[in-house]
Amino acid sequence: MTLPSVADSVEPVGATVGSGPPGESTRRRAGADVFRSLTRNRKALVGLGLLLGFAVLALIPGQIAPDDPRAKVYPRGLGPSLHHLFGTTAYGEDVFSQLVWGTRQSLLIAVLVGGLATLIAVLVGVSAGYLGGTSDGILSLITDVILVIPIFPLIIVIAAYERNSGFLTLVIVLGVLGWSYGARQLRSQTLSLRRRDFLEAARVRGERKSYIIVNEILPTMTSLIVASFLGAAVYAVLFAAGLQFIGLGDPNSQSWGTMLYWAQNNEALGAGMPYWAIMPGVCVALLGAAFALVNYAFDEISNPALRLRRLEHKGAQELPSAPPAQVAADTENLLQVRGLTVAYASDAGPVVAVDNVDLDLKRGEFLGIVGESGCGKSTLLYAIARLLGAPLAGEITSGQVLFKGRDMVSLTDKQLRHIRWREYSVVMQSAMNALNPVLTVEAQMRDALEAHSDMTKREMRERSKEALRLVSIDPVHLLSYPHQLSGGMRQRAMIAMALLFTPDLIIMDEPTSALDVVAQRSLMMQIKELQERLGFAVIFVTHDMSLVSHFSDRLLVMYAAQVAEYGKTRQLFDHPLHPYTQGLLEAFPSIRGEKVRLTGIPGQPPDLLRPPSGCRFAARCPLANERCTAAPPLYEVDGELVRCVLYEREREAVAAT
Amino acid sequence: MSEPLLRTEGLTRHFKVGRLFAKQALHAVDDVNFEIGRGEIVALVGESGSGKSTIARLLARVYKPTRGEIYFEGRPLSSLRSRKDRLAYCSDIPMVFQDPYSSINPAYRVTHGIRRALRLHRGDLGAARRRQETERVLAEVGLVPSATVAAKFPHELSGGQRQRVGFAQALAFSPKLILADEPVSMLDVSIRIGLLNLMSELREREGVSFLYITHDVASARYIADRVLVMYAGHLVEEGPVEDVIQRPKHPYTQLLLSAVPDPRAPLGLSDAADVGEPPKVVNPQPGCRFRPRCPYAIAECETVTPLLRPLGPGRLAACHVAEADVGEPAA
Repeated sequence: MTLPSVADSVEPVGATVGSGPPGESTRRRAGADVFRSLTRNRKALVGLGLLLGFAVLALIPGQIAPDDPRAKVYPRGLGPSLHHLFGTTAYGEDVFSQLVWGTRQSLLIAVLVGGLATLIAVLVGVSAGYLGGTSDGILSLITDVILVIPIFPLIIVIAAYERNSGFLTLVIVLGVLGWSYGARQLRSQTLSLRRRDFLEAARVRGERKSYIIVNEILPTMTSLIVASFLGAAVYAVLFAAGLQFIGLGDPNSQSWGTMLYWAQNNEALGAGMPYWAIMPGVCVALLGAAFALVNYAFDEISNPALRLRRLEHKGAQELPSAPPAQVAADTENLLQVRGLTVAYASDAGPVVAVDNVDLDLKRGEFLGIVGESGCGKSTLLYAIARLLGAPLAGEITSGQVLFKGRDMVSLTDKQLRHIRWREYSVVMQSAMNALNPVLTVEAQMRDALEAHSDMTKREMRERSKEALRLVSIDPVHLLSYPHQLSGGMRQRAMIAMALLFTPDLIIMDEPTSALDVVAQRSLMMQIKELQERLGFAVIFVTHDMSLVSHFSDRLLVMYAAQVAEYGKTRQLFDHPLHPYTQGLLEAFPSIRGEKVRLTGIPGQPPDLLRPPSGCRFAARCPLANERCTAAPPLYEVDGELVRCVLYEREREAVAAT
Repeated sequence: MSEPLLRTEGLTRHFKVGRLFAKQALHAVDDVNFEIGRGEIVALVGESGSGKSTIARLLARVYKPTRGEIYFEGRPLSSLRSRKDRLAYCSDIPMVFQDPYSSINPAYRVTHGIRRALRLHRGDLGAARRRQETERVLAEVGLVPSATVAAKFPHELSGGQRQRVGFAQALAFSPKLILADEPVSMLDVSIRIGLLNLMSELREREGVSFLYITHDVASARYIADRVLVMYAGHLVEEGPVEDVIQRPKHPYTQLLLSAVPDPRAPLGLSDAADVGEPPKVVNPQPGCRFRPRCPYAIAECETVTPLLRPLGPGRLAACHVAEADVGEPAA
C-alpha cells in the first residue's frame, strides 16, 4: 500500500489546517459532522427512512392497523382489497394487520440481539486485544470456535430443545452465538491501537487499565462498534425469521417469521393468498436492507477513503489559463513540465494542490524538490508519474508533461504500461509499505520483470541479482522477505527494483525520511554514485533541504502549491532569493560555526481550499509589505526564477502567471 | 557533590525474542550509567535500535529494568510501592512522544490529556482552576488564543501544533524532568526549530530538566548542555555537547557527525559510504559492539568490552583506542 502516504501529505490542506474559522474546516469525527454527513449520504437517508418507518409501525401498530391481527373474523383467503390491503389468511385474519403488529417483534429482536452480541463482542474483543498474552490466546480461541461452528444447525438444535420458551430464549441464543465476527474485528482494531502512542501516553500518565480500555480505546472505535451492532441486527432479523419459518419458537407469537410459517403450512402461494407469504418476506428483506444501508453509510462516513469523489468541472475552468505552447521535443530535455495544475476534490470544493508548475529536467540531471508537507510536492511527483487516481481523486486539470517528447497527460493506461518501469520508475517513501510483506524480494522483482518484459526465468534471476549488487546488497537476500531486511536495506532493495530496467528517470518521494542520519547519508551517496555511473535523471522530493544540498544539480522550492524559487542548487544555497527559501535555510541548526539562535518560519502555510489572493507566503514573511497583496509572478534573476515582488524592478516577469 | 535529579546505576533491559524453544535475550540497554542535573538539558543521541527509546521508557516506568536501578532525587524507583508514590513519580517525569499524529487520542478534544493529568495528579484543583490551568499550559507552549485551541479536535491542528499540545500535557504535571522522545523528528524542518526553542524557554521559565532523545546531532548541539551517545545498547560517549561535537573521541560519534547533512560545509563527496548497520544485540559476546564498522579496531576490541573511561574534563568514552588527544576529525 503506497497510496495512503500521498493521502497523508495531501490531507492537511483541507483537514488539519486550523487557521480557518472553526466549523468551516472539514472536521471528521465530531458528532455534529457525522450527523451532517449522514443527512447527505443517500444510503444513510434511505436506510434511516426505512428504519424510522418500521419504528413507527412497531410503536403504534394500533393506529395504523386498527384490526386485531388475531381476530379470525373475516372471510378466509380473500384477495387484496381496499379493506384488506393484502387480503386475509386461511384462518380469516387480516394480513396487513399481522404484518404491522409483527414489526414490533422483529425490530425488538434486532435491537436486543444486536445489543447483546455487541456487548459480548466489545468485552471479549477489546480485552483480548489489549491484554494480549494468555488472555488473548484463550479469548481468541473461544471466538474462533464460535466463528467456525455451523451456527444455523446449532441454533436449530438449541431452539428445538427449548421449543416452548419463546422470545427471550431466541434473543439469548442468537446473541450468544452472534458476537464472534464483531469480536474478531474489534480485537484486531485494538491490537493495532495498542502500540499507538496515545495509549502509551495514558499509561505514562498513570491511568488504570480499566480507564484505558473504557475511556481511551472504546471512544476511538465507535464506528466499528456501531458497525458490529448493525451487522448483528441484520443477522438477528434474518435468523429469527428463518427459525420461526421452520416452526421453531412460539407459533402463536406475532412476527413475520411466524406468518411465513403459517403461510407455508397452508400453501398460501398456491391457494390464492400470495401476499400472506410474500409480504413478510419483503418486510424481512427491507428491515435487513435498512440496517445494512445504515451500516455501509456509516462505514463510508467514518472512512473517507471509501468515498469516491469527482472533481466538478465548471465551464469557465475548462479554458486553459495560458495556451499550451507547443513545446518542441528537444533532445536535451528528458522531461518538460508546462503549466501543470492538479486539483483534488474535497467535500468543500476543489483543492488546487499543484498550481501552474513549469520545470525542465535534462538527461542525467538531479533535481531536488523541497517544501513543507502539504505544499503539493508529492502531488506534483505523482502527477508526473501519472499515479494520481482513485482513491486519491486527484486530477490533472491542465498542463503538459512531456517525457522524451511524449505528452504523458494524454497517454492511455496501456501506453503508460509500456514506458512505466522501463523508462521511468518510482521509489516510494516507505519501503516497508511499498514492498509486499508476503513475497520474497525475488518474487517481487520477478513480478515487475514479467509485467514489463519477456525475459526468461534465468535472465530474470540474473537481472535481479545484478540489480541487488548495484545497491550493495548480497544477492542471497533475493530469498529474504521485506521484514528480514533492515530499514536501510529495504530502501536499497526498492532502488534496486527501480533499476531493473535501467530507466532514464527515477522519481523518488522522500526515500530516506524513515532512516537514521548514517543510513540516510550512505543511501544518498549510493544514489549519487549510481546516477553518475548509469546516467539516469533523478527527481528527489524532500522536506529537508540540507539533505539534497550536496547531491542535486538544481532545486525547486515549492510553497503552497506554487513554485517559490527554482535554480541551481549551489547558487540557491549561497544566495537564496525568496524569503521562504531564506527562512528554510535558517531553519536548521548546524554542527559547525557559531551557535546562533534560530527562529525557523513561524506560522503555517495557507489553506489551499481558500488560498490568499496575494502572495501566499506574505502571512509568514518578515519582509511582507503592501505590494504583497497582489499575486506575484515568477521573476528571472541571474538565471533563477523567484516568485517575490522584491525582484520586480530587477527583471521582467517571465510568465504572466 | 549533592545528589543529581536523576541517576541510573547499571541500568539494563533485555527483551526475550525468538520462538518457544529458542528464547534469546535481545540486549536493548546494557549497563548504562548517567545523571541528569536540575534544570539541565541532556541529549541522548543514537541510531534507531540503539536503545535510546528503551531508556526513556525505563525512566517512565513503562518497562521494568532487567537489572540496575534508577534513583530519582536520591530515591530508588524500586522502592515506589503504593499507587500514590507511583503517581507522584509519573507527575514528576512526564513524556513527550515522537509521533504527533498518534500521541493524542483522536476521539477527544486536544485538552483531554491535560485535563486527565490535572485530575490525576493535582486533584485538589477545582473545575474552574482546572480550566484556568489548562489554558495557562496551552498559552505557555505558544498555542494562543488558548480558549479557542482548547475547543479543537486533534485533526484540526497541524503536526507542529499537536506536538505543542504534547508539551502542554507534560507541563500540566508541573514536572521536574520531561522525557522528550524524538519530539521533532516527524515535523517539517521549518517548524522544528520553534519546538526546540520552546524546550529551552521552558527550561528557563519553569526550571524543568529535559532528556532530549534524538538522532539529529545538530539539534542536540542547539539546545543541550551535555550529550550522551548510545550505540547498540551501550553508552559509548558522554560529555559537554560543544566539546563532544568539536572533538569526538569515539569512532562512532565521529561517524555520526560526518553523516550530518550540512549545506554550509564545503561541497565534496569525500566521505566513504558506510554501508554498515547497527547490530541487533542478541546473546552478545564480550567485545566492542562497534568493532565491525570501526576503522581503528585492534585485537583487544574483539575480546574485551570497552568501558566508559574519563578522557578529559567531563568527558567519557568507551573505546580502547580513543585517547585524550587522538581520533580527532581531520577537518
